[in-house]
Amino acid sequence: MKYAHLVWRNLWRNALRTAMTGGAIMLAVVLVCLLLTMPAGMDAMLNDFASNTRLTVHNKAGIVYSMPYSFTRKVRQVDGVAAAVAWVWFGGAFEEDGRVTFPNFAVEAEHIGAVFPDYPITQQQLADFQRYRDGAIVGRQIMQKYGWKLGQRVTLKSTVWPVDLDFRLVGVIDNERAPHFWFNREYLDQALREKGANGLGIAGTIWVRADDPRKVNTIMRKVDEMSRNSEAETASETEKSFFANFFGSLQGLVTIILIVTGLVSLCIVFIAANTASMGVRERAGEIAVMKAIGFPRRVIFTTLLAEASLLSTFAGVLGVALAVGLTGALQAAAGWSDMLGPLGNFIVTPLVIVQGLFLSLFVGMLAGVVPSFGAARKPVVESLHEVF
Amino acid sequence: MALPLSYSLRNVRARPARSIMTAGVIALVVVAATLFLGLISSLKRTVAISGDPMNLVVMRKGSDNDGSSQITLEAYQAIRFFDGVARDADDQPLASPELVVQPFLRTKDGGRENVLARGVEPVALQVHDKVRIVEGRMLNPSSGEAIVGRGVAGRYAGAELGRELEFGRGRWKVVGVFEAEGSSFESEVWVDVRELANDAKRPFPYSGVRIRAASEGDLARLERRIDEDPRYALDAQLETDYYAKQSESANSLYVLVIGIAVLAGVGAGFGAANTMYAAVQARTAEIGTLRALGFSRRSILIAFQIEAVLLSLLGFLLGAVLAWALSLVLDWLLGGIAFGAETFTTNVVALRVSPSDLVGALGLALLVGILGGLGPAWRAARLRPIEALRKA
Repeated sequence: MKYAHLVWRNLWRNALRTAMTGGAIMLAVVLVCLLLTMPAGMDAMLNDFASNTRLTVHNKAGIVYSMPYSFTRKVRQVDGVAAAVAWVWFGGAFEEDGRVTFPNFAVEAEHIGAVFPDYPITQQQLADFQRYRDGAIVGRQIMQKYGWKLGQRVTLKSTVWPVDLDFRLVGVIDNERAPHFWFNREYLDQALREKGANGLGIAGTIWVRADDPRKVNTIMRKVDEMSRNSEAETASETEKSFFANFFGSLQGLVTIILIVTGLVSLCIVFIAANTASMGVRERAGEIAVMKAIGFPRRVIFTTLLAEASLLSTFAGVLGVALAVGLTGALQAAAGWSDMLGPLGNFIVTPLVIVQGLFLSLFVGMLAGVVPSFGAARKPVVESLHEVF
Repeated sequence: MALPLSYSLRNVRARPARSIMTAGVIALVVVAATLFLGLISSLKRTVAISGDPMNLVVMRKGSDNDGSSQITLEAYQAIRFFDGVARDADDQPLASPELVVQPFLRTKDGGRENVLARGVEPVALQVHDKVRIVEGRMLNPSSGEAIVGRGVAGRYAGAELGRELEFGRGRWKVVGVFEAEGSSFESEVWVDVRELANDAKRPFPYSGVRIRAASEGDLARLERRIDEDPRYALDAQLETDYYAKQSESANSLYVLVIGIAVLAGVGAGFGAANTMYAAVQARTAEIGTLRALGFSRRSILIAFQIEAVLLSLLGFLLGAVLAWALSLVLDWLLGGIAFGAETFTTNVVALRVSPSDLVGALGLALLVGILGGLGPAWRAARLRPIEALRKA
């Protein structure tokens, strides 16, 4: 500790260089953190968000093959089912976008709260959702992206059904994991009937909450047995397996993101190592003098290493802080992307923060070790020879 | 008096370790930027080249893709006999009625993906003339047969010539494999349109019609006539526009990539500036001598700037070769990269680094070199000859 002052002064002897090295490490840490939030968002979705009491039922042939709406009622009667709600894809496009920029579903307002009790929606808002036929509950990210306020009205043009619907925003799903737009199924049903079409006789997916996690498997088996040999045979799966399957095709993209992250990390090691070795080279004379007057190798090695680690740790902390700030902005800008799925959620999990800090510390150590080791080991006579 | 170019060139060579370190940092940034840019451009290209300039896509008004559209048999029968629709040798109109559904297919490793299944009639091959059967033959209607695109073949269980592919409610015998110049058709499964409608229990037999126009003038006329026909509420658009619009959803990824490139570039710029500053410091005496000999400040500034640009060019070359090699390895390892498309189906994209991706990366490398070299070059040019020489 008595050499702390020496380390500190050495760090500032070339302030511009220190600042630039620190800046480079900081930016790289920001980048690595941002990139890691993408696979981390997917992992979090699978491991933390997916409830172990929830399962989903859909047609065995695919999500776009629907089931009869009446099947929802049958599912509700299965032993162990606490609640079930039918979803239908509306495919609504907002404004001039002309394409679907966030997923929107017609749901049963009276059942949705009971199936998703873990979603932060206030009781008042759920009650409003049931009261207003044209009510809608929207994920926080979508609200932010379009600058919507509660009570406002928005119109979605369906790309699937021959109707445009005008909604009143009555509630928010106050987290990042559900960038959805939910509205009342009866509203769509009525609009279709007014157009002279048949009503909404189908369910796209049915979400089910079991009253006990141990009953989930039995429920899935019973539901699928009920539909066997019917027009619409179903396949049930846990929420986790549903997400894993739905987003499984993003694996290739994740691989590329991880490779790029690896390259960027390598880049920082290069930069930091380069700077550290420059610093040591320039100080060859003074290190030789220090050794000549009796400072042990260990002290020289440790002070040099401490200098590199101190800088990189400081830069790492700044970088992580900046990354946390930036993800907020990114979430608002990117919103839901059909290309990225949960990768586009940019959720900074604690693991990402730890990884970012660890990376910077690791870089400091690695970049500092080689030149410090070399400097500490070089024979005094040789160094002095070079200097004088 | 300007310093010769060889002065900068030799300076790069004289300190190989430092030069390689700086160029290496730039090279890594170039690799990262190129891979990401290449990924997006491959994705966009795959979708964008699917359209044919002579074809029209006819869908229900308000639909944004043929996965969500329906049209009636009556409407199809009417528009196929409109004037301006091209005819084949037997005088049959080149109008291909199609049904699109998105069933699950099992991947070989046990997962499942939504794949675009297109119900077609034999005329489809004439309307989509990019699509060529490369193995086996075209499917026969009403016999439970399927042909699969190159991207589908091998990725999914049973999607091989002579095997049975299971999707929807039935099993389909794969009788052919087709290619379509790398476009998104290669990620599709084609079956008989009526059989698919039956299997999916669709009330309407078709989701859309693809029409080949007889001439370019007919394109606009047909488009207007279909749009304005009050009976069917249909919307016609150029097939090229349709796919261009679908490929636009990849644009949101550019924000991400450009952000990454800029952050990495600035970081690398700091690194490059550091080495250059050190180089200036180490060469104080040399610069003093040059000034004493009468070289102007400007020529020293330019010489150092050229050195920085040379380093970044070197970095770019290294990075470009590395990125190109890496893209081949990745493509081989991953067997094409799957993407969710607008239609919620999986697009299998071959990762290819195109010249325009490299141009983007080159711009980044030069920017890093020029901005990183500016400060040090400025310092070198401002050294006062007398002090510089005295230090030496």
